[in-house]
Amino acid sequence: MKDLAIQVEHLGKQYRLGAGGQQHNTLRDAISAGVRSMLRRDSGTGGRRNAFWALSDASFEIERGESVGIIGLNGAGKSTLLKILSRIVEPTTGVARIAGRVGAMLEVGTGFHSELTGRENVYLYGSILGMSKREMDAKFDAIVAFSGITDLIDTPVKRYSSGMYVRLAFAVAAHLQPEILLIDEVLSVGDLPFQRKCMDFAKSMQTGNATILFVSHNMFSIKTMCRRVIYLKQGQVQFDGPTDEGIRHYEDDCSLSTLPWAGRDHDAWPLIIKDCVITDDDDRAKKVFDHGERMKLRLRFETRRPVGKPNFIVAFVRSDGVACCNFSSEVDGAVLDGLDGDGVIELVTPPLKLVAELYTVHVLVREPGFQKVLCAQIGGTFHVRHDTFDTHFGVFHESARWSWDGAGTTPGRSPDAGEPLLPLADALQLAPSGGLE
Amino acid sequence: MNPTPAARAPGTLIEIRPRKGVFDLGLDELWRYRELLLFLVWRELKIRYKQAAIGVGWAILQPVIAVLIFTAIFGNFARMPSDGVPYPVFAFAALLPWTYFAEAFRRGGTGLVDDADLIRKIYFPRLIIPVAMVTAPLVDFLLSFCVLLVMMAWYGVAPTMNIVFLPLFMLVAMALALAVALWLGPLNVRFRDIKHTLPFIIQIWMYASPVVYPVSIVPERWRFLYSLNPMVGVIEGFRWALLGRANPDFAVMGIGALLILLALAGGVVHFKKMERFFADVI
Repeated sequence: MKDLAIQVEHLGKQYRLGAGGQQHNTLRDAISAGVRSMLRRDSGTGGRRNAFWALSDASFEIERGESVGIIGLNGAGKSTLLKILSRIVEPTTGVARIAGRVGAMLEVGTGFHSELTGRENVYLYGSILGMSKREMDAKFDAIVAFSGITDLIDTPVKRYSSGMYVRLAFAVAAHLQPEILLIDEVLSVGDLPFQRKCMDFAKSMQTGNATILFVSHNMFSIKTMCRRVIYLKQGQVQFDGPTDEGIRHYEDDCSLSTLPWAGRDHDAWPLIIKDCVITDDDDRAKKVFDHGERMKLRLRFETRRPVGKPNFIVAFVRSDGVACCNFSSEVDGAVLDGLDGDGVIELVTPPLKLVAELYTVHVLVREPGFQKVLCAQIGGTFHVRHDTFDTHFGVFHESARWSWDGAGTTPGRSPDAGEPLLPLADALQLAPSGGLE
Repeated sequence: MNPTPAARAPGTLIEIRPRKGVFDLGLDELWRYRELLLFLVWRELKIRYKQAAIGVGWAILQPVIAVLIFTAIFGNFARMPSDGVPYPVFAFAALLPWTYFAEAFRRGGTGLVDDADLIRKIYFPRLIIPVAMVTAPLVDFLLSFCVLLVMMAWYGVAPTMNIVFLPLFMLVAMALALAVALWLGPLNVRFRDIKHTLPFIIQIWMYASPVVYPVSIVPERWRFLYSLNPMVGVIEGFRWALLGRANPDFAVMGIGALLILLALAGGVVHFKKMERFFADVI
C-alpha cells in the first residue's frame, strides 16, 4: 500500500466578483449597491455571472517523501490550492486529506509582534504554529542557537534588523519539524536572503524525507527541487508528471502570455505582440543556441490605437529570475515613429555570450524614455549551450586580455581577445539580484 | 480503490472539506488550541503597557481618574444621589464591571482586523481571537478591584457576604461581551465602519446603564424595559454584593441571561458562517 501524505479529490474553490460579491468595503457601498440593485432588478443576476472557479476539480495524490512542484501562469490557482491545503481558505467542493504535521512557509514571521522580545515572540509564534509550551521549552535553546541571536533574545524585535527578524522566525518554523512543507515562492514577499534561506531549508527537509509542495514561477528552483510537477491551467490540473515534460507544457503556454507583474488589464494595451519567432542568423528556427551565436527575433505586432515613438525592449531573463540583458530600440537609436496598424520588427543580437542555461525572452513596449508600459509579454524560451560556462561562471563569459611579467615567461597577449566587450557587459548592472554573489 | 493517507499518530490526519451545515462548528478544536488562547491573552497584556513609564500602573490609574471626574461632575456639581454611600465608592463599584465590559466589547469587536496578518496566512480556529480579547481585560479588572477594596476601607464601607456572587455577575458581563463581539467582529471584517461606530455604541450604552446614577432615578414605568439591558443587572449586582445597596431584580436578570445565551449561540453560528470569508476579504 502506498504511504500517502496528501490526497486531494475533486477540490474546487469558487470566488464571486463584483456585484453580488464581497467587494463592498464600507457599509455605505453595500447599502448603495443594494439600493441600486433594487432599482434595477436585472443587476441581481450579476453575482452569478461573476462567479469563477479559481480551482476546479483538482485531484492528485502525493506520497510521503515526494517533492512536487506546482506551476502555472498567474491566476491558474496555484496559491489557492496551497491556501486550501494550509486551511486558510475553505474549499467549495471536494476533499483534501493530509497526514502529518503541516508547515507552511507562506507565513514566516507574520505572527511576530514588534513590541515583544525575541524570547516572547518565539513562544507566541510557536504556539500560533501549533507547538505546545512543553515542546517549546524543550526546543528553545536549540531555536536560539540556530537563529544565532543569543545576545539580543531579550530585546524587542522592533530593534532587530530585518535579517535577524527573519532568522529568528525561520528558526522557530524549522523547529516545528513539519512532515509536510508547503512553500509558496509567489506569496512570500521576502527579500533575496529570505528566499535563499527558504530554499536551503526546503532542501535540508528533503533529505529528511519530508513531503514538499512547492509553488514557484522559477523553473530553475522547480527543476532543482522536484522530479514531479503539477501544471495548473485556469484552475484545472493540466498535467501531472515528470518535471521536464511539465515545464515544456508550461513554457508552450507561456509564450505570448502577459508578464506576471504587468497585471490583467492587457485588453487596454494599445499594442500587442501577436507572434515572436526566434531563429539564428540564417533564419533557422531554434530553441538551443551555442555560446557565441547570434539570435534573430521577429516580432509581429498589432496596434489597436496609434502609438507614437514606442520603445521596443527585449530582455533575456535567466530561469532563476536574473535579468541578464536588455536590448532597447530607443537606446540603440532605432526610432520608430507613429505606429499604426500591423507590422513586424526584427532584431539581431550580438553574439550571445551568456552562460549555459535556460532563458526566457521578455518583450516589452514602453513609451519614450522608459516610461509607461504599453505591452509586456513573454516571447518564448531558449537554451544556451556550452560545456564549461555555466552559472558558476557568472552571467556571461567573455575572454579577457591577459599579460604577465616574470621569470621564465614572455610577455604576450592571450590568443582570444578579438572583439570588444558587447552590451552584455551592462548585464551586471541590470541584474539586481546578481548571479555573482 | 484509493488508499487513504496513513495517519502517523492519532490526530495528525486532517480532512479538509467544505463545512457541512450551520451546526458544523468544530468547537472541539478550540480545546485543542487552548494553549494558543493563553498565549494570545498573555500577548495582549504584554503589549498593552509596553514602553509606558508606569506600565501596569495605567490599569489602576485609568478607573481612578474616571472616578475622580465622575465624582466632581455628577457627585459634586449635579448632586446625583448615590444610595447613601460616598459617591466615589458608589461610582467605582459600577465602573469596575463597566470598564471591563467596554474594553472587552471594543477589543472583541476589532480584534479580528487587528490580527489580519495572522488570519491571512496561518490557520488556527478563528474563534480563539474574540475569546482571547474578551478574556484579557479580566486582568485589568482584578487590578482595579484591589484598588476598590482599598478605597472601601478608606471610606469605611465593608463588603457584604454576597461578595461570593461577584464571579457570577462577571460571567454575565463576559458572556455578553463575547456575544456582542461574535456578532460585530465578523461584520467589522467586511465593513470597517463598525470600528468607527464602536465608541458611540459604548458611550450610549454607558449612559443606558446605572454607572454614574442609581437605578432609583429611572421612572418606575420604564424600569422593566430599562432592566432588559443586561449591564443594569451586572452593575446592580456589584453594588448589591459589595455595598449592600440596590436590590437587583433577579427575575429580569434571568430573562437577560437567557437572551445572552441565545445571542451567544447565534453569535457562534454567525461567526462560523462568516469565518470562511475572512481570509478573502480581510
